[in-house]
Amino acid sequence: MTILNNILAVSVREFRVMCTRYSILMVLSGGIFLYGLLYNYMYAPNVVRNAPVAVVDMSQTPLSRHYSRLLDATPQAQVLTNNADLQAAKKLMKQREVVGIVYIPEDFDGRVGRGEEAVYVMYSTTTAFLYYASMQEASAGAMLAVNDEVRPNQVVFLPQKDIQPIIRTSSIDVVGMALYNYTDGYGTYLIPAVLMVVIFQTLVMVISMLSGKEREESVSRMSLHGREETTAFRFFTSLGGGDNNENHRVDLSFSRMASIVLGKTSVYVLFYAFFSVFLLGLLPLLFQLPHLAHPILIIQLMIPYIIATSFFALACSVFFSDSDAPLLMIAFFSVGLIFLSGVSYPLELMPWYWQWTHYLIPAAPGTLAFVKINSMGADMSGISQQYIILWMQCVGYFILACLAYRYNMKKALPIA
Amino acid sequence: MRTISMGQSVLIAVIKREIDRMLSRRIYFVACIVLPLFSLFFMGTIFGDGQMENLPIGVVDGDNTVTSRQIIRMVKVDPTFRVTQYYANETEARADVQKKNIYGYLSIPVGFEAKVMDGKEVALTYYYHYALLSVGSEIHGAFQSLLKNISVSPIVTHAVALGVGEGEIKSFLLPVTTQNHPLFNPDMDYSVYLTHPFFFVFLQVLLLLVTTYAIGSEGKFGTSFEWLQTAGGNMLIAIIGKLLPYTIIFIAMSIFANYIYFGIFDIPMDCGFWPLNLTSALFVLSTQALAVFLFSLFPALSIIISVVSMVGSLGATLSGVTFPVPHMYAPVYYASYLFPVRHFIEIGQTLLYGNYGYAYMWTNVVALLLFLLLPLLLLPHLKRSLISRKYDNIE
Repeated sequence: MTILNNILAVSVREFRVMCTRYSILMVLSGGIFLYGLLYNYMYAPNVVRNAPVAVVDMSQTPLSRHYSRLLDATPQAQVLTNNADLQAAKKLMKQREVVGIVYIPEDFDGRVGRGEEAVYVMYSTTTAFLYYASMQEASAGAMLAVNDEVRPNQVVFLPQKDIQPIIRTSSIDVVGMALYNYTDGYGTYLIPAVLMVVIFQTLVMVISMLSGKEREESVSRMSLHGREETTAFRFFTSLGGGDNNENHRVDLSFSRMASIVLGKTSVYVLFYAFFSVFLLGLLPLLFQLPHLAHPILIIQLMIPYIIATSFFALACSVFFSDSDAPLLMIAFFSVGLIFLSGVSYPLELMPWYWQWTHYLIPAAPGTLAFVKINSMGADMSGISQQYIILWMQCVGYFILACLAYRYNMKKALPIA
Repeated sequence: MRTISMGQSVLIAVIKREIDRMLSRRIYFVACIVLPLFSLFFMGTIFGDGQMENLPIGVVDGDNTVTSRQIIRMVKVDPTFRVTQYYANETEARADVQKKNIYGYLSIPVGFEAKVMDGKEVALTYYYHYALLSVGSEIHGAFQSLLKNISVSPIVTHAVALGVGEGEIKSFLLPVTTQNHPLFNPDMDYSVYLTHPFFFVFLQVLLLLVTTYAIGSEGKFGTSFEWLQTAGGNMLIAIIGKLLPYTIIFIAMSIFANYIYFGIFDIPMDCGFWPLNLTSALFVLSTQALAVFLFSLFPALSIIISVVSMVGSLGATLSGVTFPVPHMYAPVYYASYLFPVRHFIEIGQTLLYGNYGYAYMWTNVVALLLFLLLPLLLLPHLKRSLISRKYDNIE
C-alpha cells in the first residue's frame, strides 16, 4: 500500500507544480494548441496550384497559342506571360516571378503539319521539389490534350488502307493509382507526422523543464516557496516517512525510485490523454486530414507512446541540470525526428546508424505507426513491429529513468 | 581618444567575463559545439547517397506469360526499383503496402498477353504509396516513364507489321512531345535539395536559443547587475561583448559546414567562397539580433525561451524549403519574411543554383541588415528590466 500511496503523493505534487508554473503552461498551451492549429493553417493549401510559368512562344501560331491556353487551364500551372523571349523569361525566373519556362520552338506548328514529331522544352526550378512536380504534371496534361486534338488530322500521313486496322488496335491503358492520399496533398501527408512529433517534443520539453528545476532547487537548497523542506528531492525522500524526523536514512531503493517515476508519468499520461484527443482526434476532423483509424486503435497506440516518451524524458534528466537549458538540446531536432520516422525519406536508404536511432527514440516508431493506422488504415497487425518496439522502449527507459533519478538524488543529497 | 580606448577595454572585459561563463558550464559546450556538429553530421548523412533508388516494390503477376515476365524484367532493371515481393493477388500486395514493406506495386491482370495479342482493351495498373508522398512521387514518376513505351507498343507492333515505319506511327500517336529539364538539380538529389538549407534551419534554432539563454541566464542567476557593471553601464557594449564569442563560434560553424558540404561532399554550388560565407555570417548576426529583440520584449527567461523555441521551429516550415511559401495563405506568406532564415534560404538559392548575382538578392540582404537594427529599439527597456529585476523570478 505504501507504494501506491507514494505514487499518489508524487502525482498530486507533480500535478500542482505543472499547473502553477507559467513556463510549463506556456509550452503546453503554445506547443499543443497554438502549434497544432498553426501548422494545420500553414499547410492547409495542401497542394501547389497555379504555379506561375513563362511561355516563350517562338512559333507564334494558333497551335502554340492553343497549347499555352491549355497549359494555363491546368490546375497546377498558370501562364504569367506568353510574350517573353528566353532572356526575359530567365530574368523572370531569377526574380522568382515564375518557377518554370516552357519553350516552344519556331518550327513547332510546321513539324506537326509535316507529320513529324514536334518537341517543346519545359524548364523548371528545383528550389522546391513540389514546383517541379506540378510543372511536370501541368506540362504532361496540356501535352496529352493537344495531342488528342491534333491526332485526327494526322491520319493523312498514314497509308489509307492501313488506317482502319491501326486505329482499331487498342493501346494498353497504363493507370497509376495513388494509395492513401486522395488529395495528393502535402499537408495531408506531413501533418499527421508533425502532430505526433509535437506530442513527443512538448512532452520531453515539459518533463525536462520539471526535472531540471528539481535539480536546480536541490543545488540552491531552496524551492519556489523559499524553503528547503519543500524541494522536490526532499519531498521524495520523506515520502511515507510519516514523521518529519531529520535523521532518518535517505531511502534510494529501486521501489522508491519506481514510485517516483510512475507517479510522475501518471500525471503526464493524464494531461496528454486530453491533448491527444485535441491533436489526433479533433484537428484531423477540423482540417480534413486522414482519420482512418478507429479511436480504440489510436488509444492502444498512444498508451505505450506517451509512457515510453515520459520514461525517455525522465531518463534524460541526467543531462539537464537547470530548468531552461534542456530546451536548447531538444527544440532544434524536431525536423530531424520527422526524417528519422521514415515518413518523409525512406528508412531503407538511410545509413545503418540512423536506422538504429529510429528504434531508440520513441518519436520515430510512434510517428510511423500513427501514420500507418491513421493515414493508411492499417490494423494492429500492420503496426506490430512499431508497437512491440514502443513497449520495449517503455521497459528499457523505465529502468533507465529509475537509475537516472537515483543518480540525480544521490548527487544532490549529501547524506546518501 | 580616451573614451574610445576605455570602451574597448570595457568591451574586452565583458568578452572575457562571457568566456569564463561559457567555460564554467557544460551546456554551452554542448549547445555551441556538439549540437551544431551533430546537425552537420545528421543532415550530411541522413539521405544516404541522396538518390531515391532501390526502393522495395512488389509485383502481382496474374498472367504468368512471356509478355508479363518481360515487363517484370523491365521493371527490375529500373534503378529506382528493387522488386522484393511477388504476390498471387492484389489483396496481399495491398496489405504489404500498409505494413510499409513495399512502397508500391505493379499489377498485371489475368489474360494480359492474350488480350494484347487480340488487340483488345487491357489495363496495366501500378499503385504507389502517397501517404509517404516523397517516396510515392518517385515511384509514380519511375513507373510513368517506364510504362509509357509499353502503352503504345501493341499499336506500334501492328502498324509495323502492316508496313508503316516505326517513326511515322510514333509521331502519329504523339505528334507533340516534351522534354523536361529540372534545372540545377537534374538527378533530383535529396542532399542537393535539403542538406544545406536544413542544416541552417537547425542552426538557427540553436542560435536563437543559445542567445536567449546567454542573456537570460544573467537574470536567472542574479548576475545581471555585475554584467552591467563590467560593461560600464553601457547596454550596447554589454550585449555586443556578451554575444561576440557566440557570433564567432557560430560563424565558424557555418563556414565549416559550407566547407564540408560543398568541399568534401561535393554538393554542387555556383558561387565563390566570399558570397556564401559572408551571407552565412550575416545570417548568424541577424538571427542573434532577432533573439535579443524577442528576449527584450519580455525579459523572463523561462517564458521567453519556450516562445523562442517555437519561433525557431516555425522557421523550418516558413523557410519555404518543403512546401513553397508563396502558395500558402497570404498571412503566412507575409509572416515568413519576419524570419531571417527565410531570407537566408532565398539568398542561398540565388547563390547556389544560378549565382544570379547581387541584383537578385539585395532585398534579402537588406532585410537581414534591418534585423540588426531591431534590438536597438528595445535596449533601453532591456536595461531597465535588468536593473529593476522584476522579471527575474517569473517561472
